[in-house]
Amino acid sequence: MATSLRLYLTCIRNTLEASLCLQNFPCQEVERHNKPEVEMKTSPELLLNSILICRNEAEKCLIETSINSLRISLKVKQADELENILTKKFLRFLSMRAEAFQVLRRKPVQGYDISFLITNFHCEEMQKRKLIDFIVQFMEVKIMAGHMHMAIPCYLVMVYMLSRLTAPGWEDVII
Amino acid sequence: MAAVEVHQFAQCITCHAWSADRSMIAFCPNNNEVHIYRLSQDKWEKVHVLQKHDQIVCGVDWSARSNRIVTASHDRNSYVWNQEGSEWVPTLVILRLNRAALCVQWSPKENKFAVGSGAKTVCICYYEQDNNWWVSKLIRKRHDSSVTSVAWHPNNILLATTSTDGKCRVFSTFIKGVDTRDSKAGSVSDSKFGEQIVQLDLSFSWAFGVKWSPSGNTLAYVGHNSMIYFVDDVGPSPLAQNVAFRDLPLRDVLFISEKMVIGVGFDCNPMVFAADERGIWSFIRFLGERKSTLSGSRYSSQFSEAFGKFYGQSKNGASNDSIEPSRSRGGIHENCISCIMSLTESGSSRKTRFSTSGLDGKVVVWDLENQEDLSGYLT
Repeated sequence: MATSLRLYLTCIRNTLEASLCLQNFPCQEVERHNKPEVEMKTSPELLLNSILICRNEAEKCLIETSINSLRISLKVKQADELENILTKKFLRFLSMRAEAFQVLRRKPVQGYDISFLITNFHCEEMQKRKLIDFIVQFMEVKIMAGHMHMAIPCYLVMVYMLSRLTAPGWEDVII
Repeated sequence: MAAVEVHQFAQCITCHAWSADRSMIAFCPNNNEVHIYRLSQDKWEKVHVLQKHDQIVCGVDWSARSNRIVTASHDRNSYVWNQEGSEWVPTLVILRLNRAALCVQWSPKENKFAVGSGAKTVCICYYEQDNNWWVSKLIRKRHDSSVTSVAWHPNNILLATTSTDGKCRVFSTFIKGVDTRDSKAGSVSDSKFGEQIVQLDLSFSWAFGVKWSPSGNTLAYVGHNSMIYFVDDVGPSPLAQNVAFRDLPLRDVLFISEKMVIGVGFDCNPMVFAADERGIWSFIRFLGERKSTLSGSRYSSQFSEAFGKFYGQSKNGASNDSIEPSRSRGGIHENCISCIMSLTESGSSRKTRFSTSGLDGKVVVWDLENQEDLSGYLT
């Protein structure tokens, strides 16, 4: 793997480790609600500054944090038309199975290819480091797919990993 | 090893509290119930389940002398539980809140308790003999965001609060008919209910976990920007010290003595802060042992295994130089520690034990008895 990619992913990992400090926090604006603040954005004081990690113009990662949730969005390089179509098709495939991933956001944030939404409930169920490992690994495959014209094998790898995830013992993979 | 007992009581614990003789523990297993366990013949047994709330319980406190439990929940209610025979009987508290209650604490004299809420208010509740219920007086329009933590000064009048607007405030909670004006408390007892004594604007981020030192001279609270704040001479001209540390933010603190504070939080390992003879606070060390074991190798191998399957075995090594997997913290707690309680029995001279509970569902009892390097700060 290229050194710059490793640095990029290490940077994402360290940022995630520092910003994944979430806690249960009920909504201040709506009675008896408990919603991810990073999505609702009802109280500005509950949001932290978002962090943008750029490798180059086409590849970047946006991490938005709030008191009870974190959103991480990724943009990957699409070199040609074929990769563009592959990415589109593949993301459709993934977003239709978003429930199986738990932390995958059904629709990516505008301007990005894929988004994850992590709430305090995920942190209660899963170990933090395993959660970070999962996301960084997912990104690694995703970025590899946009590189070196390896899109097709990489997507096959992802389908393979997905099939293992969605299989009955899939929690074992995350926890 | 500083940890003397580890109990896995549940999947996830939001808060816990001990009975006066430390033979019983009440905790919330991250749902709408409060479980009470009792130690009988070296085994912890579930003896009661308090069911009355209909949303997650996020605050519980057990009064030592009157043996009452108060609970606060996201369902906007609070109950005071009295033990009658073998049953715990709930009394609803009229909080008059329209948002979640977040934290609760009995006052030192146990005639009042304070509830912090998501409605940006603090409720001071006291018992009304005539009506046989707990009524609340609200401190309104002082906080700009949710109140995350409350702490009573030993004089039973002053209340410190922290809020997600990053500020720590100190209020007077003098209630006519409940508190008596005595000369001992000094000028503090002249203030009216809800009067703000001081507002500390030290943190740039959310503030949590406020506590007073045993004498009430020092106030400590934490900010989400990995800082801990110590405030002396709380009043018109407070003296503040900020201590920054390199690890993840804290959630709660506990004074062991006037010179020593334990902080717990997202680092899953209690941190010791202490003041030297000049009164300068600093971070001393982690309490739990840290083994930086490398974990997650299974993940990279899983990736390379899958990759190898599709891309030929020759490429298998390609991902072996994959990014470094995160290191396990190797402590006793495996997830964020959210609550720390003192285990000092009233009247006991041993002030070295405390317990922590966290999102990993463990309650850990720690003892500072045999930590030579820390013994100087214990008195």
